[in-house]
Amino acid sequence: MTELLGAILPYITTILLFASIYAVFALGLNLEWGFTGLINFGHVAFFAIGAYTTVLLNISGCPLIISVIAGVALAGFFGFLLGIPTLRLREDYLAIVTIGFSEVVRSILLNEEWLTRGPFGVHGFDRPFQDAVPYQHYNTFLLILFVAILAIVYFALERLIQSPWGRVLKSIREDETVPYALGKNVFSYKLQSLIIGSAIAGLAGTMLAFYITYINPCTFKPIETFYAWIIVILGGTASNKGTIVGAIILWAFFSGTKFIDRIVPVPFESHQMGAFRMIVIGLLLMLLMMYKPEGIFGRKEELALSD
Amino acid sequence: MEERRNLRYLTDQSLGGDQMNILTARNLKKHFGGVKAVDGCSIDIESGTIVGLIGPNGAGKTTMFNLISGFERGSGEITFKGQRTDNLSPFKIARCGMVRTFQIPRALTKMSVLENLMLAPTMQRGERIWNVCLRRKKVLEQEQTIKEKSMGILEFFEIDDLRDEYAGALSGGQKKLLEMARAIAIDPSLMLLDEPFSGVNPTLSRKISGHIDELREGGMTFLIIEHDIPAVTKISDRIVVMNEGRVMTEGKPEEIKRRKDVLDVYLGGEG
Repeated sequence: MTELLGAILPYITTILLFASIYAVFALGLNLEWGFTGLINFGHVAFFAIGAYTTVLLNISGCPLIISVIAGVALAGFFGFLLGIPTLRLREDYLAIVTIGFSEVVRSILLNEEWLTRGPFGVHGFDRPFQDAVPYQHYNTFLLILFVAILAIVYFALERLIQSPWGRVLKSIREDETVPYALGKNVFSYKLQSLIIGSAIAGLAGTMLAFYITYINPCTFKPIETFYAWIIVILGGTASNKGTIVGAIILWAFFSGTKFIDRIVPVPFESHQMGAFRMIVIGLLLMLLMMYKPEGIFGRKEELALSD
Repeated sequence: MEERRNLRYLTDQSLGGDQMNILTARNLKKHFGGVKAVDGCSIDIESGTIVGLIGPNGAGKTTMFNLISGFERGSGEITFKGQRTDNLSPFKIARCGMVRTFQIPRALTKMSVLENLMLAPTMQRGERIWNVCLRRKKVLEQEQTIKEKSMGILEFFEIDDLRDEYAGALSGGQKKLLEMARAIAIDPSLMLLDEPFSGVNPTLSRKISGHIDELREGGMTFLIIEHDIPAVTKISDRIVVMNEGRVMTEGKPEEIKRRKDVLDVYLGGEG
């Protein structure tokens, strides 16, 4: 029994670590899409900016906490820079521009070797309290830290969303002409939402770097953005609670199916399993859209509402 | 910065400039390609009055509304409470105290009726992030005041029992009332109503008329686009008739009703 627990616990810790990182990442997207209605298909860019800024500053000798703050701030700042020319665009154009932006960021990470070490990636940076926590317990410590960060992000977002500020965001999502006609500076609110959402993605990027200890441009492919979308849709758009549950389900599925060939015979090679898992996720999403389109914590009654 | 100071001045003052007219529009023009939607229109709206804006479809009434409320940019001068507003964005114009409704009511469907109303008051403390984070108590106090005021407005429009319903679940008529209520919640001096009586039953139409009349008694000014001629002539102090992008004529409702050229244009001579 103890042996079994000893084997399972690290496995569960891994799932929860990834789930907490992607929950924070997806909470940023939920603020932008779920509450403000901004279609951001380039969310991964801010994930990458946060991670790279933190680790590059740290290996240059900057204290870790300052590096983290800089990573989060720079991700938010790039959200601001991207928002100024793009937030006046119609939804579908915004989606195209943001996905383009994320690819530009990845190309820079890949090609500007003098700054980012290009395809070789970055490792050897500090991790929080790495000298104080014994190596064998470090992941458990990291999990506690990440859950605490997730809780802080969650409660901060909940407070914002329940406030008049959040009400304005929701009104923009519903029909931005209305708040505009009622004296709200819609552009400014959209920009604020994008900045905060991007900063949160930057924080998640930092968390990811701390956990996997090595990052390279391939860590930040566009698929990461769509993991966040899957999490938000799965949990229920505009539900922060749902986003956290969605992240746990997604990573439980990813990790749970990784070794499925050891339990049941699967007619695939191990390298084909990854693609097969994505097919299954696609099918599950289609089934979700058919039978529970509001997601796990979404409100079914809202789907029937018309203009 | 200069503009911000001007806005504050505007919201703090009663009427600046011409004490009689709350709104003056001069030589407004808006062309869409070769179509002259509004072609040199001028209009004066006296404070505390109800002005009806009528005309056949395509006369340019809604474009005129869009120009006045800042949703369209054209040429010409618009002065609201003594201050030029033709170069201001719609949200800044709304903050000055001019609010509009839309031909098809725009309810914020996935928000409750009460939330729709509570959104309206301008410059709420809790709309700024740092106030939400650092001045929570003051934000909550103001939120309570706004809630009470919003409930009062819902009671005035007799839709207070729907306060917790989703706005998207309301009937067409109820959405019209909600939109008017939401516009009033920002404490406007001038309300632009785009077809408030269209698609509503006679009882509701009478109710809306009653509300408008009551609000006018309280000092509010209205500019109303409407196709329901009996309803708008009954309620208005003055009627402006538009045709082909121009102001064709204006006058008291009883005079307008007798004008043969208006009947010809508006009713195709069947009146």
